[in-house]
Parts: sequence; structure tokens; C-alpha cells
Amino acid sequence: MDAEAAKELGKLLGAGLSMGLGAIGPGVGLGIMIGKALESIARQPEVAGDVRTNMFIGIGVTEAVALYAFVVALILIFVA
Amino acid sequence: MKHPWRWIIGLLVIGFLIGLAILPGGEKLEFEVAGEFDREVLIELPTIGPFDMSITKTVAYLFIAVAVIVVFTIIVARSLKLKPGRFQYAMEAMYELARDGIVGSVMKSGKATWFPYIGAVFFFVLASNLIGLLPLPFGEHHQPSFYAATANLNVTLMLALCTFVFTHYAGVRKNGAFRYVKAWAPAGAPPVLKQMIWFIHVISEIFRLISLSVRLFANMVAGHAILAVFFAMALIFQSYLVGVALQGASVLIYMFELFVAFIQAFIFAILSAVYIGGALDQDH
Repeated sequence: MDAEAAKELGKLLGAGLSMGLGAIGPGVGLGIMIGKALESIARQPEVAGDVRTNMFIGIGVTEAVALYAFVVALILIFVA
Repeated sequence: MKHPWRWIIGLLVIGFLIGLAILPGGEKLEFEVAGEFDREVLIELPTIGPFDMSITKTVAYLFIAVAVIVVFTIIVARSLKLKPGRFQYAMEAMYELARDGIVGSVMKSGKATWFPYIGAVFFFVLASNLIGLLPLPFGEHHQPSFYAATANLNVTLMLALCTFVFTHYAGVRKNGAFRYVKAWAPAGAPPVLKQMIWFIHVISEIFRLISLSVRLFANMVAGHAILAVFFAMALIFQSYLVGVALQGASVLIYMFELFVAFIQAFIFAILSAVYIGGALDQDH
């Protein structure tokens, strides 16, 4: 394999791995968080509004981790 | 047989699908996702100092978003009725969401002062995100194409910078510069630990800027890339069958993107409110 092909392979492999592995953590985290939020709404329906607002804040913060992986993948493919 | 027409329709559908599968796909087109995000100059304008004033595709989308908000709000404000129609009701619901759902639920003091900024950010990001889901003729050779102003890191970074500057402006104005900066570390901590906590807080303030801008940008880019890939599936797989079979999936993805456009505007506004509220009422 020549150097150019090896570089291309590394880029694509790295991009795929970064997106795939980077999505594991946020996926698990979002599942746990939304599950807990639903649990607490089911237990106390009168605080549903507050719980939902805080859940969305948490979703935004957690989801950002996967999006960093996405940006790294984009940089690997198109910039590096 | 009770219902022969069922069999006839079934056979016709199967024949249609087999025909689609046998027919060769259209001409192989080079499909580039990256091409969706080129910086395209529409009107050349001179460079003033370090700033290139040319109207690019992104700037055109920003103008469209502002025009949509201004026109809609003026129309609603001109024809306010005590018994609201559908359109007025929708605008009122959005306004109430921004006022009570975002500012009212996370900020303790300074609600009236900071609602205009947060409401404006919410409506602006929402309008830009939703316009990004309409195919407008700004593509190559004026083909309709998907693009959003918020799918450009420059725009989202500028919005995040506004929130960043306003956060510290609000904190300094309310608490005074020295007290505001001092409250970044807890008062009762031992000296070395206190300095370390303060330093970590400074880093986290800078990372807020990055995460706020990259979150919106990456969400819109990812959404548009997925939409582009799904709509171009027939070209990628070189088969009409795949193209027809995946139209339903494209529509589902499109609806999910509508949801994401709304959620991202909501999250951007609510995080701005959380940051500004945190600078106003420092707990620790």
C-alpha cells in the first residue's frame, strides 16, 4: 500500500470510528436521562413542566458530546 | 375468489417494483455532501478593512430569516383581536413559550431586562432553522437546494458570542466586576483548591462558547447531510427501486428535522437564559 492510499484509509477509518464510538456514550446517557424524567413525571404529574424543561437542557448538553464526534469526523474527512 | 381486484392491484404493484428493480438507474451523478456547504458569493461588494462585505448564500439566508420574522410579527401586531384567529394564536403561543417557558422558568431576576434578547435569539434561530428546511433556489445553476444560515459555524459562533458577552456584561453590571469574578470559586475552600476551582471555572466559561455554537451548527449540518443522503438514495444506489422504497423514510427524516429545528432553537435560547441567569444570581 502506498502512502497516499494509507492516508486515505486512515482518514476514513478514523472518521467512522470517531462517530461510531462517540455516539455510544451520549446514547446511553440520553436513554438513562429521558427514562428517569419519564419515571419522575409518572410519579408526580404535577411537576411535569419543570421536569420537561430541565430534561431538554440535559438533552442539549449530553447531545453535544456526540456532535463533537461528528465534527471530528467531518474534519477528518474534509479538512485533514 | 371474493375480491379479485385485490389480486390484480397486488400483481400490478409487484410488477411495477420488479420493473423498477430491472430498469437501470439514472445517469451516475457525482454526489458530494460537502458541496451543500460551499461559500457561494451572490453579489460582489468591496472589502472594508478586514471584512469582506459580499452577499453570500449565508447572508441571503440571514436576510430572509429576518424578513420572515419582521413580516410575520408586523402582520400579527397590526391585526390583534380579542378573539384570536389561528395565526395570531400560533404567534401568541410561541411568544408565551419564550416568555414563560424559557425566561420565566429558568431566570430568577432580570426577567424583563433580558427577555427581549432571549426572545429575539429564540425567534431568529427558529426562523433560520425552519427556512433551512425549504428548498430555495440558491443552489448551483439556481437549482432548489437545502441550506440553513445556522448550518454555518460563523453564524452560530457569532450568536454564541453575543450570549457570552451579554452573560458577563449582566454579571458585572449587577454584582460589580470584582465580586462577580470572585464568586466563581466557593468562598469557604482552602487557598490552593480555590485557585484551581477558579481556573477550571474560567475554562468552563470558554467551553460554553464552543459547545453552544458547535451544538447548533453540528445539528443543522448533520440534519441537512442526512436529508441530502436520503433524497439522493436512488443516485447513490443506482436503482429506482431503492429511491421509491425510501421515500417514506425520507419523509419521516424530514419530520424529525422539523422537530430538531424547533428543539435546537429552544435549547439555544434556554441555555442562554441559564447562563445569563447564573451570572445575575450567583449562588456560591
